This record gives sequence, C-alpha cells and structure tokens, in this order.
Amino acid sequence: MRPPRGRGSGGGFRGRGDGGKGRGGGGGGRGSDRGSAMGGRGGGCGVFIAKGKEDAIVTKNLVPGEVVYNEKRIYVHNEDATKVEYRVWNPFWSKLATAIIGGVDEIWIKPGARVLYLGAASGTTVSHVSDIVGPTGVVYAVAFSHRSGRDLVNMAKKHTNVIPIIEDARHPSKYRILVGMVDVIFSDVAQPDWARILALNASYFLKAGGHFVISIKANYIDSTQPVEAVFQSEPFEQVMLEPYERDHACVVGAIVSQRNPKLLSEMLGGIGSM
Amino acid sequence: MALYLLYESASGYALFLAHGLDEIGQNTEAVRNSVSDLNRFGKVVQLAAFHPFESALDALNQCNAISEGLMTDELRSFLELNLPKVKEGKKLKFRLGVVDTKVGSHIHEVTKIPCESGDFIHELLRGVRLHFDRFLKDLKTGDLEKAQLGLGHSYSRAKVKFNVNRVDNMVIQAIFLLDTLDKDVNSFSMRVREWYSWHFPELVKIVSDNYLYAKVAKYIEDKSKLSDESIPGLTEVVGDEDKAKEIVDAAKASMGQDLSPIDLINVHQFAQRVMDLSEYRRKLYDYLVSKMNDIAPNLASLIGEVVGARLISHAGSLTNLAKCPASTLQILGAEKALFRALKTRGNTPKYGLIFHSSFIGRASAKNKGRMARFLANKCSIASRIDCFADKATTVFGEKLRQQVEERLDFYDKGVAPRKNIDVMKDAIESAESKDTEMETEEVHVEASGKKNKKKKSKGAAAENGEPAADDNPTAVANGEALEDSKSEKKKKKKEKRRMDQELELQDGQNAEQDGTAKKKKKKSKDANGEDLQSADGKKKKKKSRNEDAE
Repeated sequence: MRPPRGRGSGGGFRGRGDGGKGRGGGGGGRGSDRGSAMGGRGGGCGVFIAKGKEDAIVTKNLVPGEVVYNEKRIYVHNEDATKVEYRVWNPFWSKLATAIIGGVDEIWIKPGARVLYLGAASGTTVSHVSDIVGPTGVVYAVAFSHRSGRDLVNMAKKHTNVIPIIEDARHPSKYRILVGMVDVIFSDVAQPDWARILALNASYFLKAGGHFVISIKANYIDSTQPVEAVFQSEPFEQVMLEPYERDHACVVGAIVSQRNPKLLSEMLGGIGSM
Repeated sequence: MALYLLYESASGYALFLAHGLDEIGQNTEAVRNSVSDLNRFGKVVQLAAFHPFESALDALNQCNAISEGLMTDELRSFLELNLPKVKEGKKLKFRLGVVDTKVGSHIHEVTKIPCESGDFIHELLRGVRLHFDRFLKDLKTGDLEKAQLGLGHSYSRAKVKFNVNRVDNMVIQAIFLLDTLDKDVNSFSMRVREWYSWHFPELVKIVSDNYLYAKVAKYIEDKSKLSDESIPGLTEVVGDEDKAKEIVDAAKASMGQDLSPIDLINVHQFAQRVMDLSEYRRKLYDYLVSKMNDIAPNLASLIGEVVGARLISHAGSLTNLAKCPASTLQILGAEKALFRALKTRGNTPKYGLIFHSSFIGRASAKNKGRMARFLANKCSIASRIDCFADKATTVFGEKLRQQVEERLDFYDKGVAPRKNIDVMKDAIESAESKDTEMETEEVHVEASGKKNKKKKSKGAAAENGEPAADDNPTAVANGEALEDSKSEKKKKKKEKRRMDQELELQDGQNAEQDGTAKKKKKKSKDANGEDLQSADGKKKKKKSRNEDAE
C-alpha cells in the first residue's frame, strides 16, 4: 500500500512532486524543461533520459495509462498541450537498462526492429523493449516457466506487439512456426549452455548481419577464476553490469556471416574462456 | 532431382520448389549469398503450393503437432496433393526438405516421401523465412504478424492452462457494478416516491420499502380506480391484508392531484424500470457469489463473498491480495486513517474492510482489535491458498473459519481452541480425500504415508513453521489419524453419499474434484483441543455428545 493516489497500481507522478521521493523527473507537469526527454542513449532513439532531481532512463509508454510492474511514470507536456507518458526503467530490475546506463554504445533495439527475446520471465524488461520498438516492431518473447508465463501472457494482452511463447528456448524448432526472421536477439537465459541456445536460435531466426545482446553471468563461464580474469578483452563490445548486478556482463555482438551452429557456439564460448 | 521445401508458417503450410541447384556444386557460403537478395533467391526458389489453416483452432492443432514433431492429417493431405506421386519400386524423382528431422522421419514413415534436412536445406529455409511475405501475394504486410500473434497467444495460453473461469477481473467488475447499482436503484426509488406522491401522497407513509412501493405504484396506477374489489389483488402485492385495506382507505380520502393517462403511463413505466433494476441487482449478486466460489472459494467461505470480493477489488487482483502481508490486509480500506495516524503519530486503525465480516461484530469491544488481527491472518492464508493452489477447494476456508469461531469462543468463555497444527493436518487430509472420492463406499484404511506428501499445502507448512517432512508422520500414526478424522466427519444435509467413515485414497480411481464444494462440510469439532490421535471409540462417543449439544 502506498500513500493514497487513487486506485490501482503504479503511483504515477501526476504533476505533484510529493516529497520528491522516488526517481525520475519528479512531476513533469511544468513544461518541457522538467521531465524533459532527451533521446538516444544506447544507439538509435526509443530510450530517453528524464532529467530532474534524479535522472532516470525511461521509455515511451506503448499503452498510455497502464503499468506493468508498478513502475513510476513521468508525464511531459508538449507545446500543443498534449501529454506524453513515459515509464521509468529501473536498472536494478533490468539488465538491459543497466547496460544502457553503463554506457553501451549500441543495443540495436530501435523503433521498428524485430527482436527475439530469450528468457523473458514475467515480461518486465520485455515491456520496455516493446515500448522501444513501437507498434511497427515485433518482440518474440520466449519464457519457459509457467508461473512467469502467465504474467507474460497478461502483459502481452496489453502490449500487442509482443508475441508470448511459453516454450524451452533450447529447442527453437518447437516454436519455429511462431517466429519470423529477426534483427536482434536479446538473451538473458541464465543457463550454463547459453552459448548453444543463442547459436541455435540465431541459426534459425537471426538474419545475416543481425546482432545479439547477451547478459552473461561470470560463474557460468568459469566459476573458479576471478571475475576480472573471465571478462577480458574481446572483439565485441562489453559492459560490466556493476553496481546493479554482481559478476554480470552484457555483451553485444554481431553475426557477420552465418556460421553453422557448432562453430558459432565455439566462437561464443571463446568469449568467455579468454 | 527436384528439391521441394516444406515451410510451416503461422498462416499455413507452404511448399517451395528449388530448382536449378546442384547440391554437390553448391556450398553453403554461396547459398547464403544468394539467399539475401530476393531477386536471385526468387529465381532459385519458387512457391509451389500454399495451404492456409482453416481456423484458429486448426492452426493451434497444427502448431502443437509441429512442436512435437508429428505430422497431422492436414499436412499429409497437403503434401500428397501437391507433390508428385510416390510410386512403389520406381526411383523417386524428388526430395522434400524439412527443418526438423523428427517431422521428416514421420512423414517418410507414413507417406514414403523421402525427406531430408541438413545445413543446405537449413540455409534455403532461412531464405524462405526471410522473404516469406513477399512470396505470398495474397498476404498483406502485417497479416503474417497478426497470425503469429494470435497463434502465439493461443499456444501459450494452452501451455499455462489459462483457465478463463478463474479470472478474478469478473469479480472486481461485478462488485463495482453492485455498488453503482445500489446507488442508482436508491436514487430511482426516491424519484418514484416523489413522483407518485404528487398523485397519492399517503402511500409513502404506508409502504416504506422501496421495491414494494414501486410494485404498488405500478399496480394501483390511478388511485380513483381503487375499491374494495382490489383489496385481494393488493394483498398479493403487499403481502399484508391490513396494509391493503389501509391503502384503499387512504386512497379514498387522498388529497393528491389527479394525473392524466399519459402521466400515469410514464410513472408506470418508470416504476417498472425500478423493479427490473432491483431484480437485476439480485441476479448480479448471485453471479458474484458463484464467481467468488470459482476463483476464491476459501476466502469466500471464510469471510463471505461480498467482503472477499471487496478485498480483492481493493487490492487490485487476487494475486496482489495474496502478495500483501496480513497486516496490510487488516487495514485495507482504511488508508486515509492509517496515513493520517502515521503522520500525526496517533493510533493507527484496527480494521478496514474486514470490519464488515460478521466476526468483528460478534466480538466484544475490547477484543475487536485482536479478532481483526487474527481474522486478517487467516484471510491472508486463505487468499494465498486460493491464488496458488491448483485445485479449487473450500476445505481450508472452512477449517480456518472454525478456527476463528473457536477463537471467538475463547474470548467469550475462555474455551481453549485447538492447536493449529492439528487443524491444518485435518484440512490437508480432507483435501486429499476429496481428491479421490469414490462412488461406492469403502472403508479401507490405507495407511500410506505418501498421501500427506501429495498435497503439500503452502498454508500448512508455513503455519506450522515446521519442515514439510514433519507432515509425514509414521505410517501407523498416520493410519490412526486418518481413522479418527474419518469417524469425525459428519454429513451435511444435502450430501447423500458421505458416510461417517472416511472415503480413503485408492489407486487408479478417477476422482472428481468438486470445485464449488460448499455442500460438503466436514466438521471435526473438537471441544477441548484434544490430541487427535486417540482411540476411535472415544471419538465416536464424543461426536454423539457434540451432536446432542448442537
């Protein structure tokens, strides 16, 4: 229960910066200087920065008026008196947000993109990805757990560019009928064979010249070595997810030319073992 | 040799013909290059046939079959129709490329069509996937995505067993509507009274009930037409002959003005509306009750349907209610008082919506707070069971209700309530026996320890604070406990089949779990909180004493 702000979840700031608690532009109801949305962290548009008492990254809400996991919302007034609603993206709860804040140059997820999201769980980060790609893009969200799957399906009911797939990501042939070719694969599967999973899915669904973004836990690669030794120099872009996540890194790479799955997984495995 | 490609899409099955290819000559690298360019690819691969799925249900069946690696009849007939015939003994002039080897082997088994899959096929099919929407002229852009979206949703919902009947949104909407209806019916009734009183002012004082007033007004219409002959009819409407007489007398001496026929018709119609709305309100209430029993039977049996529905709607959903701590549940609905007290460092409220359940009213003023806390704790357990249990059962709700009653007794008379662990053990056993009830009455006592392992109720484990393993006492003791609980079960009036002997778990018997089992009320009233594990005979005597006492 939070202080009374009307019924329902997600105490959005409705222009009353009450005590300034919480994050984000703190009540963007005063024109475009407060709660201003600056575009463009992490490559192309879609992700904005809200400046205020505390800065936060936000995404433009695909379904205005709805919140997915009780996150805060920020309203910005345009010159023509319309309101734009943004949802705050919490880096403590989302590895992709952490990577963006950490300074990754390009996440390849932009408006109109087609994204395959492996490890969607309850769909909290998926909802933000769906906001970014907008109504012209598509997000294929794969989750295996049934409990989380229910939340994912409920979220997908509102965000209509998300296609929920409750299936094991290890077997892309099982859901091949539901997925087209995608531009980006985002993987947050937290499984020891993440490389094989990614390679297999890429061989089915990732277009040539497509990219992938993975979140890797250090102890999946080699739990005996210290973290620093594991994540060393690579040809790909890499960002450590401290202080939001311990021993995690986010890696961005590209499929320059399609190798066969075995080779690809070796290559990916090579990242980790260096 | 011609190479066909089978491609499964969300809109339907497609068959492509790849020609001009020589596999030995081509390596995957070259194929890859030709794949990315549609013109070049289009020369190599062409659409041979396309079979759209008949309906959403058909699409779901196909999708399920594909994910298992099986071939459906529709796929089979599609292939046989569009591929050249397979002749026995002759050399086959074509091959079919598929992505999945399982499907391929199944197809080959049934139809003898030679299938193959490999890197080469894989590359070609990647190209097909990339350019698919261009191949099919009839498909507009976005159609394929819509098909994928619909199919994805139905596939996923089937996986998570999305039960439409257990959607708590209906209850939230119903309770809102109920409140709105109440207000509206009240305003309309007031309006009828005022309006009709222009014509017949005395009626307001005689008939005080809103619904009855509307009925009477509708029946009487023009008061000058009232006479002694209409008394029987009026008695039927009002239910009381004296009142009917009063009405007729008052009508004769009334000082209200006359109304023209048109006006009377209007009043009549309005009164009819009010009555209809009242009827509807009643039906809505029944609907709410039945929905509550579907989605939250334990909560409903513990505090009643209306209060339970209010709690759910206040929290936002059943899941939200289950997630919040019991202290929150206690003061749900009293937020204004709560935060005011917190700000001014005063006393926080003791109860919120919970206050409207009957238990708080029955407690003495000193104990209201304690009862509220106790009740909130039990409600929290009930809501969690409802939210996360797979089967719908009211057993736990009833047991919890008994605990609340016992606690009330304790405050009133000092009667010590039963220990929680015993009650919960009871509840688990009845829940399991309900699982596997049988048509014939058998009295087997199968002291199988695994029974307790099966239905591990979260509530019980959490309540007892003991490891779940403790729930599994030795086989002998278990047998005794079951026997005892058997002898204590009483029949509720409507239940025909249940005997005092418990119906025990048997192997392989189909069980019909009664979802809305309000009919069964197994009371194991244990007046002095004695240990359940005592001899049968003593229990039986006790039971009959209890029966007498009631």
